[in-house]
Amino acid sequence: MEMGLALGAAIAVSFAGLGGGVGMGQAGGKAVEAIARQPEAGGDIRTLVFITFAFIETLTIYGLVIAFMLVNKIQ
Amino acid sequence: MFGMWDAVLFQLGPLKVDHLIVTEWVIIAILAIFAYSASKKMEMVPTGLQNVLEWIVTFTYDFFTSLIENEDAAKKWAPLLSTFFMFIIISNYSGLIPGAAHVTGFQPPTSNWNVTATLALITAFTVQLAGFQTHGLHYLGHFVSPNPVMLPLNLLEEITHPLSLTVRLFGNIFGEEMVFAFILAMVPFLIPTALMALSLLLGGIQAIVFTLLSANYIAASTGHGH
Repeated sequence: MEMGLALGAAIAVSFAGLGGGVGMGQAGGKAVEAIARQPEAGGDIRTLVFITFAFIETLTIYGLVIAFMLVNKIQ
Repeated sequence: MFGMWDAVLFQLGPLKVDHLIVTEWVIIAILAIFAYSASKKMEMVPTGLQNVLEWIVTFTYDFFTSLIENEDAAKKWAPLLSTFFMFIIISNYSGLIPGAAHVTGFQPPTSNWNVTATLALITAFTVQLAGFQTHGLHYLGHFVSPNPVMLPLNLLEEITHPLSLTVRLFGNIFGEEMVFAFILAMVPFLIPTALMALSLLLGGIQAIVFTLLSANYIAASTGHGH
């Protein structure tokens, strides 16, 4: 039971982190490319990419919260 | 364990006053004293504290008004968002004070569900209020746009916005404090400094993200196209 909980927490946080990391890397890389190509649009792109990061990050944080819930059940 | 303290300090009528509420009171008092002492003797050419306050106010005000298209709504709601920003950034940074998360009953208020849920609910109600104030009853039309079939999804969206705001702020700050507690237990010296520098950045970014998304939701409900 406890081992299952621990494994579940580990799987939740690792897969959430994996997906979020790949997504954020792609979004960040494209944003840097866009700013390098057109530096005068930097302000707009920065705001947009922050919002994008926030949305991607939420999904990762959901995994983290689930992991915390599972870890709290282990006595 | 961190964050799981049941530290009810005293009762205020039917309300239980716990450590989080007291920490929030301290933060509010700090903000109030700062605002009062900075604006007590205002001068045309600002010096000292007044200078700092004016910089904060103009910076946040310009930032939020530039995000919201509708000018009336922007002027009306930018002060609320600025206040959110200052409150959230100070409570995030209160986790960096030595002893936070280790002294029982001292944790940053934003590392608890209930506090962030309150902030997100205020935002959610503000979004609806701003929409009705700008568009009147026509605002209800946006729930059935582009098609009445979309009504459940549109309603669901209004619920998931505050939910995601809550979980994002809470998860980030709580996660950061947990990682911090683990690292401090393993390596008490020197190494945690790097993590502290990172959490300075993180606390600021989370405050910006929360208010940026709130501004975006207000902009969406007051903008054109409904």
